[in-house]
Amino acid sequence: MMKDMENKMKRRWGMAIDLDKCTGCGECAVSCAQENNLPIFEDDSDIPKKMTYLDVMRITNDRDAKFPDVKVAFIPKMCQQCEGNDPKNPQPPCVSVCPVVATDTGDDGVVSQIWSRCIGCRYCQVSCPYEARVFNWWKPKYEGSFKKSLNPDVSIASRGTIQKCTFCSHIWKKERDKAVMKGELDINAVLYTPACVSACPTGAMVFGDLNDPKSEVSRLARDNRAFRLVHTIDQKKPDEQKKFRAIKNFPNPKVYYLSSKQWIRDLMRFK
Amino acid sequence: MKKIDRKDFLKIAGGAIAGSAVGTVFSGAPFISLQWLVEWTQDQHVPSSGLEKYLKGVCEICPNKCSISVRMIGERAVKVETSNSGCPFGQTSLQMLYHPDRITTPLKNTGSKGRAKFTPVTWDEAIKDISSKINGIIKSGKNDRIASINKERNLSSELLDRMVNSIGSNHSYYEPTLDTLTAGAVGGMLDYNFDDADFILSFGARLLEGWGDSASISKSFSRWKERKVKFIQVDSVCTRTASAADEWVPIKPGTEIFVALGIANHLIKKKGMGSGAADFGAWSAIAGEYTPEAASRLTGVPAKKIEELADALSRAKSPVAVAGKGGKAISSSSAEIIAVYGLNTIVKSRSVTTKQNVNFAGAAPIQTAAKFLAESKKCAGFDEFVKTKNFDMLIVNGADPVYKSVYGKELAAKLEKSFVVAIMPLVNDTAAYADYVLPSITSFESKTAAGDPVVKPVDGAIHAGDAVLRIAKMVEGLQQSFQWKSYTDLIALTGKTAGAAGFSFKGDILKKQLADLKKALGDANYSLSLVPIEAPVVGDGDGLAFPYAMKVLGSETFSSGKLYVQINRETAKKHGICNNESLKIITEKGKVGSVKALLTDSVSPDTVAVPMGFGHKFYTRYAEDKGVNPREIMNDKIDPLTGTASWLVTRVKLS
Repeated sequence: MMKDMENKMKRRWGMAIDLDKCTGCGECAVSCAQENNLPIFEDDSDIPKKMTYLDVMRITNDRDAKFPDVKVAFIPKMCQQCEGNDPKNPQPPCVSVCPVVATDTGDDGVVSQIWSRCIGCRYCQVSCPYEARVFNWWKPKYEGSFKKSLNPDVSIASRGTIQKCTFCSHIWKKERDKAVMKGELDINAVLYTPACVSACPTGAMVFGDLNDPKSEVSRLARDNRAFRLVHTIDQKKPDEQKKFRAIKNFPNPKVYYLSSKQWIRDLMRFK
Repeated sequence: MKKIDRKDFLKIAGGAIAGSAVGTVFSGAPFISLQWLVEWTQDQHVPSSGLEKYLKGVCEICPNKCSISVRMIGERAVKVETSNSGCPFGQTSLQMLYHPDRITTPLKNTGSKGRAKFTPVTWDEAIKDISSKINGIIKSGKNDRIASINKERNLSSELLDRMVNSIGSNHSYYEPTLDTLTAGAVGGMLDYNFDDADFILSFGARLLEGWGDSASISKSFSRWKERKVKFIQVDSVCTRTASAADEWVPIKPGTEIFVALGIANHLIKKKGMGSGAADFGAWSAIAGEYTPEAASRLTGVPAKKIEELADALSRAKSPVAVAGKGGKAISSSSAEIIAVYGLNTIVKSRSVTTKQNVNFAGAAPIQTAAKFLAESKKCAGFDEFVKTKNFDMLIVNGADPVYKSVYGKELAAKLEKSFVVAIMPLVNDTAAYADYVLPSITSFESKTAAGDPVVKPVDGAIHAGDAVLRIAKMVEGLQQSFQWKSYTDLIALTGKTAGAAGFSFKGDILKKQLADLKKALGDANYSLSLVPIEAPVVGDGDGLAFPYAMKVLGSETFSSGKLYVQINRETAKKHGICNNESLKIITEKGKVGSVKALLTDSVSPDTVAVPMGFGHKFYTRYAEDKGVNPREIMNDKIDPLTGTASWLVTRVKLS
């Protein structure tokens, strides 16, 4: 009974992104950078070393198709907040390799990252299947008055640490605290929206609780247009999935993408 | 009492040392000092905290004026909340507000122009010097040699127009925008009702890349998806808009107009449709030559597809054919705008209407003004002015014509010889040539129709409208027309529009421009076409000053300090170009480089897609010396109706 209660109290934050509606405008990435105090360098064009949580990837099928049948699409990619095979005991690929517990999963399904605890070994960056983790090669810099627009809820990382998207969980924690201050103790009454989702000008991004079957995000996750980034086990039959899960841990991301375009889904299949 | 011997002394001393060591450890002092050591060695910044509140504001980045909410920590603005109804350009406004390179005092040029070497002066000094210069020009009877260039229509631009006109000069211009181009071509700005449209056919108008009112088009776009409204993009490059559209109709670069004529031909001949607008007869006679088959040969679009598009357009209840190629920066020939707008009149669409700007009235020009206003003719547009007119004084309000005009170099030479005043928050390529740069405030610092400013204006900067008012009040004879104390008195008076009429098909323009276009497309010396594209957030260049723009750019645009241009694989093979190769782009006007090649089939054959917005010489430390500016080499043929160069397609070769 108590066990059930505990499970009910647990959120499983997830995201659904409708690629049919995504225009690749980049507002999500700018909003994310502003919310999360991302460092500001004069030349930030060294792409593998650029500190960014949200990458608006331009994908195209021009290896398989020729002009004029070639297609282009944009995939906003952030930390996919993996949960491993068992959502009740989440084991994302990055968490198990961290030697200092700088990254962990909480009761909300968010894979956390504490910069000040990170020793910069970069095991997690290597183990992440989605390249969602970025290493601070340089000390984060905020020239002059740019410091005025820094968000006090997100600490500034030091050089030599890993940073990544946390679904803006500092907003979630703040909303939770606010609710408690008002006397509201049921955390299921508290909702929040990460910066990218609240910025999206076409409403392509949807955020919510995957545990709540009535929420928009879990409805979209069950949609037949939904898929997850390079997660081939999703295409297998249920009994086969069970067999594979018994021998191997899969990332099981909590970010769902929706597309009506077959070529995008084909790209996810390692043909 | 027992004497303390040496052994006891050592015991006590040892105990004291051990005790204090244990005490220090348990007091937490070592941990705090370690923390300090970490902060000191890492030089870590800790954002100051304060009372959190959300303030309602209006985003003044574009004329659309979205309402937003700003998250404040004490006096600091830390986040713009758009609740799914903003645009990426508005999201960067905090980077503008707190930009470290913002000007906070009027600057006076010292040394040679074009080097951006300035010394700070006081406001009084600057205004006095500028106004005495204007008074001097008026005294010497050269009133029409004072000119102004605005970025876009807003309160301060209307005031500046009023000042320049009241002095007796017709030369007040705007950087080319969708509105200035369509007003020149069809006699009014086009007002599209995208929300109720049930079929959208866009001729190179990159609707989702900064075209028109970004925020409202994004909203309409998501509604089209929900209502399953068909959205078709005709373009030579699979841009972001083409990729998000339901269908991309790829064409040979620069041939949008032939698709429009092919559709018109099918509608007129096969469907018996027509238009009552002026000169339709002559125009349709020319369109009669472009059967879908003829259009197909020129554009590479199958004739069947053109007929399909025509049928869909005529079947739809409220169809919209969208004119005006480009994203943030727009460039279309007037014949093209007329042809595409003409389609709307042929299918009798109610979703497209025309309107015009109405500036607030009641100006009393100075005594000598009437003569000049009657005698000197206003140019049709911005590029024509830059190319053909000389001036003694130019006031630039937020604009960057040296960077954005294809005549930038010619303009820079003229600026070196004249008195230039730039009103803007950041020094840009044009302000580098200014005699005075006056710092203006940005989006959240000004009072709006919605109420007080969100944040206190930066010390030293004032509203551009106030800067104009201060200058005008010191010009002899203008006091009567500029009696307001501050720009805040004008908020309700400005931004008015009215309906417009008088559309004509102008068959002669079509004939001439088609001949020119065919000649250009057949140029064998320059066998490729340069088609500019826009990177997200950077747009046509204004966004590059905001470093978060770089967070969005991928390796297909700008990587490791190099700008990438997209070339079709087959075309690259033909010209012996491999991926990542360094190239120079050459036109009749000159060359730019080096850029790197990115081979992709998402562009049409014989096309080089070059991102715009890069290659600033002066525009804050974040935008300077990044990539190249293709406008330096773009097509500079000026359109007679819009007075603007049609630079969107330029014939080039590569080396």
